[in-house]
Amino acid sequence: MNLLYVTEIIIFAAIVTTLRVFGIILLSITSGWLLSYAAIKSKIFENIYIPLNEIFESVPVISFFPIVLVLFVNAIGGILGVELAADFLVFTAVVWNIWMGEYQAYKTVPNEMVEVGENYNFTLGEKLKYIYIPFSIPRIAANLFPSFADAFFYITVSEVFSIGVHQYETFGIGSVIVYFYSRNEITYVYYSLLIMAIIIAISVYLLREFSKYAVAKYTVDTDAPILRRGRINLKQTTRVISSITVTPLSRLARYYRFRNNVPEEEIFEKEEHGYNWVKYIPGVIAIFVFILILYYSIKLVISIPSVTWDYLLSLTPFILLNMLFDYIRIAIIAIISLVFAVLVGYYLAMHKRGEAILVPIIQTFSAFPPPIYFPIVFGITYPFVLHYFGILTTEIYVLSIGFISTFYYVLYSFWMGLKAFPSEYFDVMENFQMNFFQKLRYIILPGTFPYLISGITSTINSAWGGLMIGEYWPNIIGDKNLEVKVGLMKYISQATLQGNIQIAAWSSFIFSIVVVLYSLLFTKHLMDLARKKYVAEEGIYAA
Amino acid sequence: MTLNNNSHENQLNEIMRVENLNFTYENGYKVFENINLSINENRFVSVIGRSGIGKSTFLRLLGGFLKPDSGNIYLRGKRITKPNPQIVLIHQSIVTFPWMTALENVKISLKSKNLTEEEENYRARKALEMVGLQGFEDLYPKEMSGGMRQRVSIARALAAEPLMLLMDEPFAHLDELTAEGLRQDIYNILFNPETNLKAVVLVSHNLTEVLELSDEIFILNNMPATVVAKIEVNLPRPRNPRSDEFNRMLDQLYTYLGSSSNVRG
Repeated sequence: MNLLYVTEIIIFAAIVTTLRVFGIILLSITSGWLLSYAAIKSKIFENIYIPLNEIFESVPVISFFPIVLVLFVNAIGGILGVELAADFLVFTAVVWNIWMGEYQAYKTVPNEMVEVGENYNFTLGEKLKYIYIPFSIPRIAANLFPSFADAFFYITVSEVFSIGVHQYETFGIGSVIVYFYSRNEITYVYYSLLIMAIIIAISVYLLREFSKYAVAKYTVDTDAPILRRGRINLKQTTRVISSITVTPLSRLARYYRFRNNVPEEEIFEKEEHGYNWVKYIPGVIAIFVFILILYYSIKLVISIPSVTWDYLLSLTPFILLNMLFDYIRIAIIAIISLVFAVLVGYYLAMHKRGEAILVPIIQTFSAFPPPIYFPIVFGITYPFVLHYFGILTTEIYVLSIGFISTFYYVLYSFWMGLKAFPSEYFDVMENFQMNFFQKLRYIILPGTFPYLISGITSTINSAWGGLMIGEYWPNIIGDKNLEVKVGLMKYISQATLQGNIQIAAWSSFIFSIVVVLYSLLFTKHLMDLARKKYVAEEGIYAA
Repeated sequence: MTLNNNSHENQLNEIMRVENLNFTYENGYKVFENINLSINENRFVSVIGRSGIGKSTFLRLLGGFLKPDSGNIYLRGKRITKPNPQIVLIHQSIVTFPWMTALENVKISLKSKNLTEEEENYRARKALEMVGLQGFEDLYPKEMSGGMRQRVSIARALAAEPLMLLMDEPFAHLDELTAEGLRQDIYNILFNPETNLKAVVLVSHNLTEVLELSDEIFILNNMPATVVAKIEVNLPRPRNPRSDEFNRMLDQLYTYLGSSSNVRG
């Protein structure tokens, strides 16, 4: 193959994949703006939308991909079906987090701002444009990096997929790299990884700049910015304060001047006629969608013969046993990620220079999708790992892929928690000369508890994605396979590859019920405790 | 009222000395130039100056939380290079840990001393008693008023048995009644014979508060700031802010601050 031609293909594929990622994130953001507004305006819509969001947020969507793919290929077919299936997978991987962030931002818009909008009789579009959307920007910026990393992970996995004898693929860096691996063109794989690394590094740089801009321009904070680690940055302080005073309130004021003067009576009339029925639309839509889901679910259950149900039910204990093994793996990954996050996060928060260098590197690395480079790492390290770990070799690789595809969430969350720590707490720790473990035990871990819970939840959810690709990876490089003995993700992958969609779907269903129960009973309980007791910011009394 | 510059009398009782202190913010703005002062034992010292002059920064330098560009700060002849429990800072924003009870909040200051649990409890309870919070040991900060929370932070400081307390506008976030109550108690709490405390440095822009509490007042002024005067307050204690003598001194202080605020470097 001509090198120039191959390079062009790789660059084009990398750009296509990146555009998919950005397009899907953009779609998630824009749809979230409207849905969040509907949620804060309609109680019925909110009561359906938020619990559904919480459930979908906790279900690792990758386990549903085979079913989604079959549905899309059957319903739409061809390249478009595969393309939409891949996009849908990524959309469902990133959207819940973004939607929840936007909803929380909308819920916390200061009442004074809402009243300004009402006072000047803003239309829906104006309220969104001048109040709600600007207010949600910092929250979106905070969610962008994890969403970006998640999106790259899932897009590269979903660009090529096999079900039974059929292989479905859509053009992108994921499918191009799989093609190179299959032809043993390792040099081209290296090229692809290099080009992808450059594109991801540029994307991370742009996202970081956007984040800085978003925080500087759109953060509304009534208190003076908190002094961090005894360093005073007047320039930054002035920028933040000026952004508080300039936007968005002064923009509102400026806008007012350009509004047409409509006679008062007309306004009141318009409001009385138009308002009442419009506010019920989101609720009606939500009920309609809910009934639709219920109808199709019942229809699906009835359509499956009872013999098949008996068979699937008899498999359930085996599925649960497999899931137990996966939960042990997830627990190990979570613990390693937590320890890593605490040590590295603490270092980053305490060392400004180290933070400036390491954070972009970690962000780029975490956005670099493991599915495209892991085969090479496996190929290089296999003899050593086999020599040192023997029968544990497979587990080491599965745990490693789980770790590298997921450690970032808890690290990022912990680091953000430490950054939000009141500077006075650092003073107290220094003043009383507490050692590292005393700081961790008494102050830092309790103070960052809400962030840790949220980070560890994301880590656990994403670790399933790592297990999904790691537990059963035939021909990972050359003729070598990566395959665990027992594991639910392997079971689902194998069922999918054998074209046994019913088993894959039932396993995914059982799996999602357990995950949702775990989330509702355990994670939610911890999160409530964290919100009730461990909010560091509440320890600073400034009436 | 007497005025002195760079007082170095009573060297024997001196607890803190600041020599040729210079400090510049990260953005290049020079805050302090050539500050020299001395603080003697058993004195309640205040630092005043116009808003934004760097009073809080000055306290943070005294506590070792910030490093000066040049110059030295000595506590009992030993140079301060980093924060330590011998000189404790009490913040303007009242700092408690919401996940700890009042007792646990106080015990935090004893962790570096490697005491037994019983000894920690004994000292923490004693400190809470000193600030008038016996019986409230098991309350969480959320269950306390602002005044009680500030007493917890003072108890935490006292439990560490410091030689010096640095207080950064400690009453600023309290309502006037609570602040007045705490002000009346604070001198007796701090210079209680049971404490090791030798001196207090208070930063405040409330001149009544400053005059009510202080034995000495340092006035900061100019850009970059320097100590432009030291004022000794010899009013008998307890001081009555409604007394003629108090108000006469207060007027003088306002006049002095007003005239010195016109000085520009």
